[in-house]
Amino acid sequence: MDGERFLARVAAYRADGWRLSVINTTAVLPSDELPQGAFDISWSFALGTRLEHLRERVVPGEEVPSVSPSFPSAFLYENEMRELFGVDVTGIAVDLRGQLYRTATRVPFSPGAIRRRLEATGRLGDGARHAAKPQPRPTTEAGA
Amino acid sequence: MKRTIVPLGPQHPVLPEPLVLDLVLEDERVVDAVPTIGYIHRGLEAMVEKVEYTEMGFVAERICGICSFMHGMGFCASIEDIMGVEVPERARWLRLVWAELSRIQSHLLWLGLGSDAFGFENLFMHCWRMREEILDIFEATTGGRIIFSVNRIGGVKRDIADSELAGIAERLRALGERFAEIARVFRADPSIHHRLAGVGVLPAGEALAAGAVGPMARASGLATDTRLLGTHGYDRLDFEPVVEAGGDCLARVLVRLREVEQSIDLIRQLVDRMPKGDGQPIETRVRGLPDGETFMRLEQPRGEVVYYLKANGTKYLERFRARTPTFANIPAMISLVRGHDLADVPNIILTIDPCISCTER
Amino acid sequence: MSFFRRSPWILHYDGSSCNGCDIEVLACLTPLYDVERFGVVNTGNPKHADILLVTGSVNERNVEIVENLYRQMPDPKVVVAVGACACSGGIFARAYNVQGGIDRVVPVDVYVPGCAARPERIIDGVVQGIAALEGKRAAMAAGRRRGALRPQSGSQPAGAA
Repeated sequence: MDGERFLARVAAYRADGWRLSVINTTAVLPSDELPQGAFDISWSFALGTRLEHLRERVVPGEEVPSVSPSFPSAFLYENEMRELFGVDVTGIAVDLRGQLYRTATRVPFSPGAIRRRLEATGRLGDGARHAAKPQPRPTTEAGA
Repeated sequence: MKRTIVPLGPQHPVLPEPLVLDLVLEDERVVDAVPTIGYIHRGLEAMVEKVEYTEMGFVAERICGICSFMHGMGFCASIEDIMGVEVPERARWLRLVWAELSRIQSHLLWLGLGSDAFGFENLFMHCWRMREEILDIFEATTGGRIIFSVNRIGGVKRDIADSELAGIAERLRALGERFAEIARVFRADPSIHHRLAGVGVLPAGEALAAGAVGPMARASGLATDTRLLGTHGYDRLDFEPVVEAGGDCLARVLVRLREVEQSIDLIRQLVDRMPKGDGQPIETRVRGLPDGETFMRLEQPRGEVVYYLKANGTKYLERFRARTPTFANIPAMISLVRGHDLADVPNIILTIDPCISCTER
Repeated sequence: MSFFRRSPWILHYDGSSCNGCDIEVLACLTPLYDVERFGVVNTGNPKHADILLVTGSVNERNVEIVENLYRQMPDPKVVVAVGACACSGGIFARAYNVQGGIDRVVPVDVYVPGCAARPERIIDGVVQGIAALEGKRAAMAAGRRRGALRPQSGSQPAGAA
C-alpha cells in the first residue's frame, strides 16, 4: 500500500471533523494468488449520519502505517490488529508491546491460524473457495 | 519527583469486571495510565468458523449480558441487510420497545453502580429496585431476565399483545414518577456534586478526536446519537439527542438520567403509534445463504456499536466483528485520568460506564 | 448450629463471563432478593471468605487469578460455579481462548445451572454451599480430634467475624 497517500487521506478526514469509528481487519486465507494469505483492512470514519470507509489489502509482513498522527485514539485498534491478526502496524502512539490481550493461540486471527482451525473442523474447502474472490468495493452508508 | 506505579484491578471494589490500569503516579497525581485487558477475552468472533449463521445470533447476544437484546438485534439486522430480508412491521416496532427497555434497564443499573462508587449505597439499592421492574417486563414478554433470545433473523420470536403493551406503558408512567424522586436526589445532593462536578472534564474537541461515543460524547456537548440515522424505525419517533455541555463526571450522570426519561417517553410513543391488532405476522421466513458484507450501526445504552459482517455464500460467516461502545471510549477515559488525584480515578472510570466483556468479546 | 450456617462470607470473581451472571449475583444483594438479611455478606477480601462464587469460564489470562484467590481463602472453603460458562464453558466452550469450566482449575462443590443463572438458583447454590461447608468443617474437627488432619493453611476456620 502507498503509506503516504493513505495517511494524507486520513488526515483529510481529521481536518474535516470526521471521527474514527472503527478499524476492522479481515483475514484472507492463503490461495494460489496469495500463498501467505492477506488482510483486508478497512478504516471507517463517521460524520453526522455518514459513515465512509478506506480499504486496503496488505500481505503478511507488509508495513501498515499507524493513523495515530491524525487519530491518537487508534492505538487500541492498532494494538489489536497486531496481536490478534499479526498485521505489522508501525508507529503506534501507545505501543502495548503485545500485552493488550494474552491469548491461548498466538495471533488467533492470522490466515495461518484460521486455516489450521478450519482444517481441524474439516471445513477448509469452504474457506479456500472464497479466498480468491475479487475484493469488494468500499461501501458508503450515506444517510442510510 | 519519584514515580510510583499502582496497578488498579483486575479485582477492584468499583469494577464489577476485571480490567487492569497501571497508573503511573507522582505523589497522588496520575500522570499516565496503561490499560491491559484480556481477562474476559473469549474469542467469540472466531466462533463464526464453527457456528452456523442462523445460530450465531445467540452467541452475539452473549457478548454482554447488559446489552444482550441490542447485540442480538444488531446481528440479526446485519444478516437481514445482507440477504435483503424485509422484516414484518410489527417485529420492527417490537424490537424498538425492547431496545428502549434495555436502555432504561442499563442506565438504572449504571446509576446504581455509580452511586455505590460515589459512596451512596442507599441510592444504589433504590436504582436496582426500580431496575427489577423492567426485568419483570422483560420476563413477562420474553421469558428471560438477562438473555432473551427473542430476536430471529427475519423478525422476532414472540409478540406482545396490545393489552399487554398498554399495561407496559402504564407501568413505565408510574415508574417515571418514582424515578423523578431518585433523579431529584442525583441532581440536588451536595455530596454527589462535591465528588463529580468539575472532575474528569472532557472538552468537545477532545471527545471528537478520541472517538468518544454515546453518553460520554453527548455529555461533552456532541449531539451524536446513532438513532438519528433513522434506521431500524427510529425515523417514526420524535426525539432530540440528550446533550449536556459540562463534559465532567456530573454531566455524564445527568445525560443518563435524562435518557431514562427519554426512553420512557419513546416507549409511550411506540405503544401509541404502533398499528393495533393482535395476530400480525412477526417473522419472515428466511431461505438461502448470505453473501456479501455490511456495516451496521445501532445506539446501545453505552453508545454507538458497529457490527461488521462478511458472508461468503456458505453457512459460516467469514468475519463477524463488533466494535462496542466501551472499546471506543477507553482512549478518552485514559486521557481523562491523567492529571487527576488517585481517589478520583474510580469515578472517572465508572462514568464512562465500562463494559469489559463487550470490549474484549 | 455453627456460625457458617448463620453468616457465610462470599467472594465473587468474574471469569470470562458475559456479565449476565455477574449482574444476577449482584442482583441477589439488592432489595428484591436481599441475601444480606440471611447474613450472607459479599466481601472483596479472599482471606475473609468462606465461599468462592465464580461466574464465567477459565481462559488463558484469568486461570492464575482464580487459583490465586482460591489459595488465599482459609479452610474449610467451598467453590460454587455459577452459570453454564462456569460449569462447563457453556456456549463459549468452543471459542479458542476458553479452556472450559472452572473445575479445570479449582475443585467445585456446587454447580448452578442457567444462562444466565437466576437469582433464586444462585441463592439456592449458596445454601447448598453452606451445607458442603458444614460437612468440611465437621470433617476437619473430627480430624483435629484424631490429630491426623491439620487445616492446610493453618488458620482458624474463618466464619464471619
